[in-house]
Amino acid sequence: MSKDLLDEATVALRETEPVSEFEARATRARVMSGLHQTRVKRRTRLAFLLPLAASFVAVSAWGAANGKARLVQDILERLVGVTVTTPSRAPAAPKRHTAQRPAVAPSSEPVQIAASPVTELLPVPPSAIRPASPAGSSIGADSASEHAERVDPNLVLYRVAHAAHFVDHDPARALAAWDAYLRAAPNGEFAPEARYNRALSLVRLGRSAEARSALEPFATGAYGNYRKTEASALLERLAP
Amino acid sequence: MTVFGLTMVTEQALANDAEQADELVLRLQRADPSAVAEVYDAHHAAVRAFAKRLLGDAASAEDLVHEVFVSLPQAVRKFRGDSALRTFLISIAVNHARHHVRAAQRRRRAISAYGETKLQESSDPEHEARRKELAELLSRALDKLPIDQRVAFVLCEVEERSSQEVSEIVGAPEATVRTRLFHAKKKLRLALTTEGIG
Repeated sequence: MSKDLLDEATVALRETEPVSEFEARATRARVMSGLHQTRVKRRTRLAFLLPLAASFVAVSAWGAANGKARLVQDILERLVGVTVTTPSRAPAAPKRHTAQRPAVAPSSEPVQIAASPVTELLPVPPSAIRPASPAGSSIGADSASEHAERVDPNLVLYRVAHAAHFVDHDPARALAAWDAYLRAAPNGEFAPEARYNRALSLVRLGRSAEARSALEPFATGAYGNYRKTEASALLERLAP
Repeated sequence: MTVFGLTMVTEQALANDAEQADELVLRLQRADPSAVAEVYDAHHAAVRAFAKRLLGDAASAEDLVHEVFVSLPQAVRKFRGDSALRTFLISIAVNHARHHVRAAQRRRRAISAYGETKLQESSDPEHEARRKELAELLSRALDKLPIDQRVAFVLCEVEERSSQEVSEIVGAPEATVRTRLFHAKKKLRLALTTEGIG
């Protein structure tokens, strides 16, 4: 009985009267209007976002090309109100620097410990040593590394400091340049090397107290075994 | 020779149809309003009939039809041409239907409470009244089913689609569709008996 009733009801539902032509046309108009609104919204969004994105890209490129990325970053931080951290390839956690580190990062200055005066502990690197780029490739030789530097302005800062320290042998300028690099990338990939070289610049400038406090972390093993021996030897010589 | 000629003509026509369908899908993907209008004109009746049967309420059905065609340019990106465009439209309607089921229930309750249902003019008013009553009764019984069983019943029994087609629409195996249908019919029979009409 109920089966027949279900069949009958099913047929009844199937034969439900069609919707009037007027309702169908009204819904068609709603659909077209809805589509139009969607298109307008999308266009508005594009018209707003595209120039914004283009401006951002242009400003970033300009900043990277002129070495004013730091300035751009400051402006962005002020505008957006968020701290923009410059991406670094390996965020430096001091404890992670182990004895293997110097082998792959030759850009910090080697120190001889044998001689007695402090200045003799800071030999001028041989001219054969290239003012190496932090990545270990020759300057200007590798277009890929040049491209990387254009992208990462911190590497440009590192190279400036490196040149002042190792090529020009100008400790005052080198110190300022190391400070600039460390301000821009306090946890950058080459921060330990920069800190060590900064300490050496302080030694050369005769600012012993500051040099001692800069060398302390290396001597106490805050950077693992990296420059631990050299820093300890220098501290001994600098002891008041 | 004539048979061969006819085969050639048929193949040519099929190829043309397929090309036109592909072009239409491409235009839909670009959200071309004229393409949406074309598809609406060709398929709105089928989508509307399904929506009305599934939801049991004309206003909710219109809302569902609207939603199906407005979301079509977005949804058609997933269309691979494995099924007919009409089948694809019904599957969009199925996906959007669950949002409209409750609204349709509320509207139907309100309409029956205020006695606003009007009988269509018919040559046999008694038969028409009976048909209307049964359709309304079945719609109410459908409200008690889970949406999957409800969809399976409407597609298989009311719209008389094959389980393979329903399987494509709902994106479930045929066996699952048949199981849903079995449970749906069992519950509906019980519901109709409880209502005491027969």
